[in-house]
Amino acid sequence: MNKWDILKLAYRNLWRRKGRTILTTLGVVIGTASIVVMLSLGLAITENQRKNMERWGNLNIVRVMAGMRFDDKGQPIGAGKPLNDEAVAEIRSMQGVVAVSPAYVFGGEVRMERKRGYIQLVGIDPSQMQALEFKLSQGRYITPEDKNAIIIGYRVGNNLRDERELRRMMASKGRAISTKIMSVSRPQPVEPAELLGKRLSLLSSPSEGNPMDVRPLVNLEVVGVLDEKDMQRAYEAYCSIDELKQIKKMFEKTMQPAQKSGIPRQRNDPNQPGPDDYQYIMVRASDVGEAKRLSDALKRAGYNAWSMADSLEGIEKQTRTMRAILGGIGGISLFVAALGIANTMVMSIYERTREIGIMKVIGAAVADIRILFLSEASLIGLIGGTLGVGLSYVISYVMNDLGLRFIGMPGPAGPGEKIMVSLIPPWLAIAALGFAIAVGLISGVYPANRAARLRPVKAIRMDY
Amino acid sequence: MENSGKPVIQTRSLTKKYRLGQEIVVAVNEVNLTIPRGKFVCIMGVSGSGKSTLLHLLAGLDRPTKGEVDFEGYNLSAMSENQMAAFRRKYMGFIFQTYNLIPALSALENVALPLLFAGVPQKERDKRARELLVQLGLGDRLKNRPSQLSGGQQQRVAIARALINHPRVVFADEPTGNLDSHTSKEVMELLTRLVYERGHTLVMVTHDPNVASYADFVFHMRDGQILNGG
Ligand SMILES: Nc1ncnc2c1ncn2[C@@H]1O[C@H](COP(=O)(O)OP(=O)(O)OP(=O)(O)O)[C@@H](O)[C@H]1O
Ligand SMILES: [Mg+2]
Repeated sequence: MNKWDILKLAYRNLWRRKGRTILTTLGVVIGTASIVVMLSLGLAITENQRKNMERWGNLNIVRVMAGMRFDDKGQPIGAGKPLNDEAVAEIRSMQGVVAVSPAYVFGGEVRMERKRGYIQLVGIDPSQMQALEFKLSQGRYITPEDKNAIIIGYRVGNNLRDERELRRMMASKGRAISTKIMSVSRPQPVEPAELLGKRLSLLSSPSEGNPMDVRPLVNLEVVGVLDEKDMQRAYEAYCSIDELKQIKKMFEKTMQPAQKSGIPRQRNDPNQPGPDDYQYIMVRASDVGEAKRLSDALKRAGYNAWSMADSLEGIEKQTRTMRAILGGIGGISLFVAALGIANTMVMSIYERTREIGIMKVIGAAVADIRILFLSEASLIGLIGGTLGVGLSYVISYVMNDLGLRFIGMPGPAGPGEKIMVSLIPPWLAIAALGFAIAVGLISGVYPANRAARLRPVKAIRMDY
Repeated sequence: MENSGKPVIQTRSLTKKYRLGQEIVVAVNEVNLTIPRGKFVCIMGVSGSGKSTLLHLLAGLDRPTKGEVDFEGYNLSAMSENQMAAFRRKYMGFIFQTYNLIPALSALENVALPLLFAGVPQKERDKRARELLVQLGLGDRLKNRPSQLSGGQQQRVAIARALINHPRVVFADEPTGNLDSHTSKEVMELLTRLVYERGHTLVMVTHDPNVASYADFVFHMRDGQILNGG
């Protein structure tokens, strides 16, 4: 018997009992929709959190930090290995590493045109920038030919303020400490594009008693501005590591003897980094999964490694439980729907016993009858599942449109961005549809076997 | 037709017993019967004499307690249910007292249904079913559901369904039992004419002597036994 013929026959049989079929299908619609919507809530939470984390750094970058190492529970377990060129070489040779750069950090005051401010200079290996996912919104990367070139985060300009304003504040407040002023009034935001090509002058250490008495030490040229999505690097400026080491030496020469003595000189304490050690090392793995493995491998090798992927895993563990609970709630309604299908099919067999017998008498094979009943049950699953997935999209759209902020869903994204309450990825829609069909099919197994086993004589002797 | 001299069906000690609580009912008792090819055979007897049971055994719808049915040289008892279904699709047609049409299907679809189970494509099915229904005078009722047809019309649709696969044997169990004498006569004349024209063998169960008068052979049954047996 032709499969298409059986399907057509099944479809017609369903429409004979319109009311009952519609009610049974409605059960599947509701069951499917409740699973999809429930899961979509959990998925939206995960997605919101993932987006949030991406904003703070790339998921496939592992950072190796200087200083203490901590175990999973956050307990310190001793000092990490010192971050020097040996460490860089060791890490570079590890499996799954795509790019490595040490970071040498040095903060200082800079002047740009008539503005002044404190910025964090990070010396890195410029050849690794692209591989370490430094994305530019303006300008270009640093080349080996460049001299004193820097690439700045897109908000660096916001930390600079007008010198005239600073002077006024000095005058009114008397002898204040320059760094304190920085955090008092809000600086004017600066368009990142305006910064490109500008010259930043690193200032010498101020002479004692007058924070305004400084002179430019080195001129740095802004050749590139980082993408604004890179929030982690928004307030930092990047240059070549070798140049920064020289700059730091120059700066230290200008310091007052009193300030110099304040610098810790405990070279023997292994927990304290030496003056030429790096503050951290950036490592790029090929993907998120590799980043997690790499981060674990680095920890085993005695480094204080950290990656976004670690945190993401924790969050995923949390939301997995949540998703399981939400999905379970939806699952119950689909289970009830499955019972509904089975019940409808069994009732239908009672009503159609005679008809099944006749079909067998006129030549239907056992398999034909079984397939017919399985088709009817699966069709209920297919139709109910399709409508259920459609309904889920409508519910999801409405929930997202309303925003449902009052529920207090965690993880709003940036300002002005709506919270995503419900997320239905294509795989969920397809899986739900497949699940609904499977539920129909499974609910149909018992009734179909009953129908297939029916003895033709018994059926046609009925009502005699 | 090949082996035209041989009988279509032969039974040997065909017996069917039913257990009803403690009591054992012997519905068919040691029946040795020969159904000649291309003839109209009637089985007559009072109610409860075992006519329907015998018919079901001959058609392989039921399995005997004892004995054998030889149908065109095949032993029906040795067949699996699926083999038997395939056999019925190919060699048998059925007509019942209560017509037993599928209520959801039109007259045309009911007639075409055996061909559907036989895997005949839809176009071919519909063509053959339409031709047969036109022959039976139902050319203007093709789209009607069984509930939209009279008893006589329904039985004519059932006859068309029984003949659609050109069966060797058509089994009929009291086909006129639900019809008035006038319609009954009409249906019998139509059925016998078609069966002769098309060369089918017809095995019919009835307790109506008028119906039995159309037959070539009449077997009388009582208490599960054939009185004038083959
Ligand atoms: N499934 C069954 N279980 C028990 N006894 C049965 C069963 N089917 C039939 N019988 C018995 O077998 C006997 C023969 O029944 P059958 O239906 O063959 O009679 P029949 O000659 O066709 O009668 P009618 O003319 O009323 O149709 C009856 O006594 C009946 O009660
Ligand atoms: Mg009977």
